[in-house]
Amino acid sequence: MTKAAAITTKKEILVTGFGGQGVVLIGSILGQAAALGDHRESTQVQSYGPESRGGYCCSQIIIDDRQIQYPYVRRPDILVCMSQTGYDKYAYMLLDTTLLITDQDLVKPIGFDRDYLSIPATRLAEEMGRKMIANIVMLGFFSSVTLAVSRKSVEEAVKDSVPKGTEEMNLNAFKKGWDYGAAMLKGREKKAAGHAGVAS
Amino acid sequence: MKKNTAAMKLIVFICNWGPHTAMHTLQEQGADIPNEIGLIRVPCAGRINRALLLRAFEMGADGVALLGCSAGACRYGSGTETAVGNIDDMQEILDLLGIGRQRLRLGMSLPDEAPQLLQFLKTFSDDIRALGKSPVEPQAMKAVQAQAPDTAALVRAIIAGRDVFACQDCGKCTSACPLALTGKNYSPRAIANAVITGGATSETVQKDVRACLTCGLCHERCPSDVNFPEFIRDLRGLERPDSETRSEAHEGFFQSLMRTMASPGLTTRKWQWLGNDVAIDPASKTLFWGGCAAYFDYFFRNFLAVKTRDILVDSLKLLNFFDIKPAVLEDERCCGHDLLWAGDEKNFLRLARLNAQAIKEHGIEEIICACPECYRTFVHDYPAHGIELACKVTHLYDILEREIDKGAVGFKKLEHAVTFQDPCRLSRLEGKADLPRKLISRLKTQGFKEMQDFGAAALCCGNCAWTGCDAYSKKLQVLRLKQARATGSDLLITSCPKCQIHLTCAMEDPIQSGDIKIEMIDLTGVLVKTLRWE
Repeated sequence: MTKAAAITTKKEILVTGFGGQGVVLIGSILGQAAALGDHRESTQVQSYGPESRGGYCCSQIIIDDRQIQYPYVRRPDILVCMSQTGYDKYAYMLLDTTLLITDQDLVKPIGFDRDYLSIPATRLAEEMGRKMIANIVMLGFFSSVTLAVSRKSVEEAVKDSVPKGTEEMNLNAFKKGWDYGAAMLKGREKKAAGHAGVAS
Repeated sequence: MKKNTAAMKLIVFICNWGPHTAMHTLQEQGADIPNEIGLIRVPCAGRINRALLLRAFEMGADGVALLGCSAGACRYGSGTETAVGNIDDMQEILDLLGIGRQRLRLGMSLPDEAPQLLQFLKTFSDDIRALGKSPVEPQAMKAVQAQAPDTAALVRAIIAGRDVFACQDCGKCTSACPLALTGKNYSPRAIANAVITGGATSETVQKDVRACLTCGLCHERCPSDVNFPEFIRDLRGLERPDSETRSEAHEGFFQSLMRTMASPGLTTRKWQWLGNDVAIDPASKTLFWGGCAAYFDYFFRNFLAVKTRDILVDSLKLLNFFDIKPAVLEDERCCGHDLLWAGDEKNFLRLARLNAQAIKEHGIEEIICACPECYRTFVHDYPAHGIELACKVTHLYDILEREIDKGAVGFKKLEHAVTFQDPCRLSRLEGKADLPRKLISRLKTQGFKEMQDFGAAALCCGNCAWTGCDAYSKKLQVLRLKQARATGSDLLITSCPKCQIHLTCAMEDPIQSGDIKIEMIDLTGVLVKTLRWE
């Protein structure tokens, strides 16, 4: 996907996970980055109710260059799953063109036979010392592999959205996810070209 | 022989037997021997080792010929064969050095081959004349000073500079010293005491100063923070010039090599052997600094057969793997580490200035080092001696750790249990013992086990700065290898070409090799074998 194409097309994004993982925050950061940073239209709706205290939870984001008439996701371009129930519940919405992104350790996309992208976001966050920032790691990964929003805008939105005093930690988490995504794309490219190892 | 008045300086080492008889015939005939040839008569061509051949170039020879007896005619049996081997090695090394193999040649003659000998000498002389002067600027070998330096004042300055009076006489240094551990009658504390009480120039202290490994374990343990390795380094600088070769290992070959590289006119060909399997970008502002591994491989090829050059190729491959295409300095010189630690600060500074200038001219913004000695010298000793590089210096491992940490790469299984030999310059002197360990912990090995002494407390590989190698160095190496074997590992990972060389040397022991032999590989080699995109 070229950067130009990414920025001029409509994107319907569904982010699912456990309540408390911060999937709603991912949605609101993305929406804010697209609207305030990239000067595009965006909407975000979130599940609100008992599920936000555990159980599955979801956030629906639409980014477009034209005015958005309907804020719910009907044909997802990207489905991000941070928990197994999040996948199980929304798998029915997957289209042939939907890009699936998962937390590697938490989600097994049963019955999904296409290529998809995954990152051990929760593990990486734990390694960085705070499990809480798994959502920002995922956000970084999402941003680098989809280019749905510009890096600068998301980083600004992250800074504005997280609690005061944790900006640096969250930006590091974002970078971690971004680098992981960039490295993964590079690795896939290299493997496709037949250069998997150092020597070959 | 007519006195040499020509500008060219040609040195001919001539064997006392076959060639000298032929030469004698020529001289009696009043033959037209080229004027610029200086003859040095030696008992056997095989006794002119590589250090002596190089020394001639270091001292300003434009061409050197070694004349021995024809194959099979050597009075001592193996002289001719040895001479051929030495010349082969030296020609490769002279090519790398940028002096060129054509300036060194081997001639063989029988006593009755006077005309052929004359022809050889004429061709030799013509060829060198066509090549012109050697790019090496000879240095005054013995510093001729107007008056004797005030040694006592220098010693006082060293004692004050390294704060040796802070020594509490506790002896922790001696109990930590690896040399003392091998049973050598050796005590850093006693050296400090002797120097303070005016014994700096005594024979025993001088000898002890030369024997120090400068491994830094004593400084690590010292409660008063007396920097003993640098104290030793200062004292080495005091040594009388006429005793210069006393304790140099390999007949002083490496010191001579480094001093030769300090000639400003010299353009080395350090990377001429590099193959097409690695990508280099001459325009890059990131420089990969190789170090002297290529020289080591030629020098040790017939004895230890170490392959330290592979470390450079592997490092470049790893950088390429992460899409980093660095530049290399085609005319890279030695960083000067070994000269500095051998006490030759003057030539160290000459090298350092030339390096700093070359790095600046290429507009380099970051230097990547794979060699712990080069790394330490650039980040620490250059600034300490007033040489500013004005660019970032990074160890290769830092880059690899950064890139691997980004994720999406994995490691193939390594069917070995491994242990690790710490390089003193990285682990102790620069305090980065955890850096190689981070990389090792990522490997999928059959288990990683530390040796009894590890990290900042690790034992030395047995030698530093090519000086003071003796039976105790060997003992230390054997001890270290036994520690490695005691871990139950079957692969010893190293991070410095010198560790490879020195530990391989100990393993050559025919009697003990059964107890100490262990497969060795540089960390870069392991990574190249196992690292891959997931």
